[in-house]
Amino acid sequence: MSKKLIRVKVNGKMVEKAVEPRMLLVHFLREECNLTGAHIGCETSHCGACTVDLDGQSVKACTHLAVQCDGSEVLTVEGLAQGGVLHAVQEGFYKEHGLQCGFCTPGMLMRTYRLLQENPNPTEEEVRAGISGNLCRCTGYQNIVKAILYAAAKLREPQKEAA
Amino acid sequence: MNAPDRRAALEGVGDSRLRKEDARFIQGKGNYVDDMKLPGMLHMDIVRSPLAHARIKKIHKEAALAIPGVYAVLTADDLKPLKLHWMPTLAGDVAAVLADTKVHFQMQEVAVVIADDRYIAADAVEAVEVEYEELPAVIDPYKALEPGAPVLREDLAGKTEGAHGKREHHNHIFTWESGDKTATDAVFASAPVTAKEHIVYPRVHPCPLETCGCVASFDPVRGELTTYMTSQAPHIVRTVVSMLSGIPESKVRIVSPDIGGGFGNKVGVYPGYVCAIVASIVLGRPVKWVEDRIENISSTAFARDYHMDGEIAATREGRILGLRVNVIADHGAFDACADPSKFPAGMFHICSGSYDIRAAYCQVKGVYTNKATGGVAYRCSFRVTEAVYVIERLVDILAQQLGMDKAEIRAKNFIRKEQFPYKSPFGFEYDSGDYHRGLQKVLDACDYKGLRAEQTAKRADPNSPTLMGIGLVSFTEVMGAGPSKMCDILGVGMFDSCEIRVHPTGSAIARMGTISTGQGHQTTYAQIIATELGLPSELIQVEEGDTSTAPYGLGTYGSRSTPVAGAAIAMAARKIHAKARKIAANLLEVGESDLDWEIDRFKVKGDDARFKTMKDIAWAAYNQPPAGLEPGLEAVHYYDPPNFTFPFGIYLCVVDIDRGTGETKVRRFYALDDCGTRINPMIIEGQLHGGLTEGYAVAMGQQMPFDAQGNLLGNTLMDYFLPTAVETPKWETDHTVTPSPHHPIGAKGVAESPHVGSIPTFTSAVVDAFAHLGVRHMEMPHSAYRVWQQLQQSGVAL
Amino acid sequence: MEVKIDKRYELAVAPARAWAVLRDVKVVAGCMPGATITEQVDDKHYKGSVKVKVGPANASFAGDIEVLALDEAAMKLQLLGKGSDRAGSSASMDLTATVESGDAAGAAVLAGQAKVTVNGKFAQFGARMMVPVSEMLLAQFADNFRAATATAASESSATPAVPAKPNEISALAVLWGLIKGWIAGLFAKRA
Repeated sequence: MSKKLIRVKVNGKMVEKAVEPRMLLVHFLREECNLTGAHIGCETSHCGACTVDLDGQSVKACTHLAVQCDGSEVLTVEGLAQGGVLHAVQEGFYKEHGLQCGFCTPGMLMRTYRLLQENPNPTEEEVRAGISGNLCRCTGYQNIVKAILYAAAKLREPQKEAA
Repeated sequence: MNAPDRRAALEGVGDSRLRKEDARFIQGKGNYVDDMKLPGMLHMDIVRSPLAHARIKKIHKEAALAIPGVYAVLTADDLKPLKLHWMPTLAGDVAAVLADTKVHFQMQEVAVVIADDRYIAADAVEAVEVEYEELPAVIDPYKALEPGAPVLREDLAGKTEGAHGKREHHNHIFTWESGDKTATDAVFASAPVTAKEHIVYPRVHPCPLETCGCVASFDPVRGELTTYMTSQAPHIVRTVVSMLSGIPESKVRIVSPDIGGGFGNKVGVYPGYVCAIVASIVLGRPVKWVEDRIENISSTAFARDYHMDGEIAATREGRILGLRVNVIADHGAFDACADPSKFPAGMFHICSGSYDIRAAYCQVKGVYTNKATGGVAYRCSFRVTEAVYVIERLVDILAQQLGMDKAEIRAKNFIRKEQFPYKSPFGFEYDSGDYHRGLQKVLDACDYKGLRAEQTAKRADPNSPTLMGIGLVSFTEVMGAGPSKMCDILGVGMFDSCEIRVHPTGSAIARMGTISTGQGHQTTYAQIIATELGLPSELIQVEEGDTSTAPYGLGTYGSRSTPVAGAAIAMAARKIHAKARKIAANLLEVGESDLDWEIDRFKVKGDDARFKTMKDIAWAAYNQPPAGLEPGLEAVHYYDPPNFTFPFGIYLCVVDIDRGTGETKVRRFYALDDCGTRINPMIIEGQLHGGLTEGYAVAMGQQMPFDAQGNLLGNTLMDYFLPTAVETPKWETDHTVTPSPHHPIGAKGVAESPHVGSIPTFTSAVVDAFAHLGVRHMEMPHSAYRVWQQLQQSGVAL
Repeated sequence: MEVKIDKRYELAVAPARAWAVLRDVKVVAGCMPGATITEQVDDKHYKGSVKVKVGPANASFAGDIEVLALDEAAMKLQLLGKGSDRAGSSASMDLTATVESGDAAGAAVLAGQAKVTVNGKFAQFGARMMVPVSEMLLAQFADNFRAATATAASESSATPAVPAKPNEISALAVLWGLIKGWIAGLFAKRA
């Protein structure tokens, strides 16, 4: 299978690689870009552990081909923190004990990131529906919901002046 | 700082401090097996049998080997010269590594391919052709024991003695019993009231979000084998790998890195691990194998599959006189059930539960079928899920038969607080408990009387769109395996260990023989040490999982980390504490008995101004040890527990079943747990939420259906029910504290209790919704379709 | 996994004509979508193949057919087919097909009962589609059979010809056919 050259912006940096057309986006990120945050938990696109943000939408990287992302922008969990400062969603998961084994966490965080962009003030029901594409076996979701509501509140706070 | 502030600064036992492990996970910097990349690493994939029972006529490797980038295709014939085509299991049986002449279950490993990358490996798997001759499959464990049943284990032909005693039939594995059969039979013969029910705990699968896998790396220059592995018991794996491969244990290193959930699925040694290790040794390069979800559900350790005939005997006033349970246990094609070696049915004999039952007997018969192997997995504490399920169902059924309230019959039969330590009819010595207090707390919190009144009113209304059910369960768990005279894995006693080293500037590093798979050991273990030594938990580094550095331990499963390793931690810390007292006395120029310990310092009795903190003592240990004492401040302790621990709980659930669709809405779930001393309440609550959710999944939707030919239908997440945030109920948690008298910090362990206790609670609630219509038991899972069928059968469907 | 089939198909030809087609195993096999007889071993044994395609995935079943009974008087054919595919699916079919007289003079009914057992990959992943797909395939078979009887009727030769048709079943085409059929059923008159 001959390779195709693609150019993808990943976490703000341009990445240029030759990939087989059948290479999945999740393998491209984990193996070509060395970003192992997105995880693989199934092969039927149910679990959501591979969720990333592609051109402003939550997508499951296991069901996308890398070649489909030529010319696109991808944001992964490694790109959330800025200048060593955790993103509000990361802080929420930490403060509210929204993770245990950590395997679903990157996908949950990326989904939460986009969910709160789409709906900055969700109800609990909207949060639960919003993350229904992300499975977790450890937490029972209760603290994840609290984490997301924490992050939503923090993001709605008026921005403080940068020092 | 005053005393309360100093205690708070330690963030020790009892503090809901945030977790130390979170920093890497929330930034995508966890280190799971599939994240590992070693130079020159190859990828392994597995050719699996599509048939449940068949002879292998021929395996054609040529097409696969012809694919560029494929290095090797290995079959049982390639493993034979190394005597590795079969391996010993933890249950005293043997299991095929790669199918040798015959396949015994669908998706069994038949060949492995090794290639440059995972895509080429997948291509190669498709290119391997295997010719099979189909054989009739045995799926029903009862049919497996019939006289003319097909022979599954030809390799055991003629073997009438198994690892656990006599084998009665070619598909029989063992018969195990506990209790007093004669006394129990006598009680049943004369009891005024008896009830009997066939109760099935269906086969399910733990399905952690991360599948199993390893990176095996043999260094031919040093003759050393390193394997990164999703293992809940790395030291046992090291010992087994050394024994199988002949490489000295000192040159074998197993590393369990971050693990994405275990739940008992990652205890055993799977053929994938063995083949990856062999491939790495043969090729002299690292080999990675990571299974996919279908492979995980189809071929790794399943859970339960207990077919139980339960009987209970009582007086007309509801006083339980006797318990008798006979079980047929479907173990699959090889007995790889991960129990302590003397207990092929695990701790099933905890089935007398929270009740003072004088006469009891249980018998479990293990059976071979054409299914994958396992049995003990999925947050079960070695069959305690099955034991609690059967007793709680029987108590409900008895209550219904006598027209007694479920709470009342339980209170009447509970072991009373004064009876602890309590010797059960099966020989367990329950350490401590106060069931009456817990029950009352739950009934009050949920307004039980009000709920029953509401239910009565709803039952009287023929137009009510729902049926309301109230489930109630009172369970006693047995955790912390275990005392080495009773509990061993392959002959290694089930102790656990801790080694602590305090540095000159007052921080410390500690290593244990367990391995966290999400339970937060890096936080909770540090908290134990913090309280014992008076050093902030933030400054205590905890490491687990690397067999080259961690002291020998039996791993994490059966909720044994806190009861056993937690005890080892406290004892090691106390050794350091004792040396610290000597150093402090030396520094303060007083006798040891002139000192009081307070939170983080030794103070001279009656003179608060003269004290030495543990931080001061750490520095002194490295440059001013007292005469006769060596420098340094460290200790190691191997803890052999004197007994199991017995956490308990009372759970109440309210459901509303839609009479049109059969859907069950969980209106309320109230879980009261008593795990003794609570190290980190936030982490406990998280564990409870997780266990309750997994229990919800098992009770309400998970199944592994097989057709008559042994095809496993529904082994992807399209069918296997993993609840999302939408249907998962909201959990209410509560607690009482009844410390364990024999545990150094009184802690009992908690992580499996919510799973053990919630599953019968859901069944209790769903059945209760139909109880007024004469229904006394319904088999799991209580999916909408199955409940709808009951609605039809009971004539109340809308 | 087992599927039991019991079907009756109306034919617009006389029973004798229909039986002439049915008793010729080569032609009957040829009516089955995707199937071919590759070899006749003896008068009771044949070798055949069935090709199935779902998008990029293929299965090629190679199998044996044994004619268990051919009852001229009762116009009944009984056969046993067994096949396996190299990637690990297998299927066996126990079939009894009879030609019966129809309501009118030039009409007949083809009645068939079959027990089909599928094992391996197709059973694992295709279980829920088994019954509707089988019915679809049999409906196509019946159409092909009708065509074969019509061809034979219009020719004077006694040997019916194997109808020309694609020699592969595309499961996606079958699925599309099923969906179309279901939608059509929504608008069809209720019997």
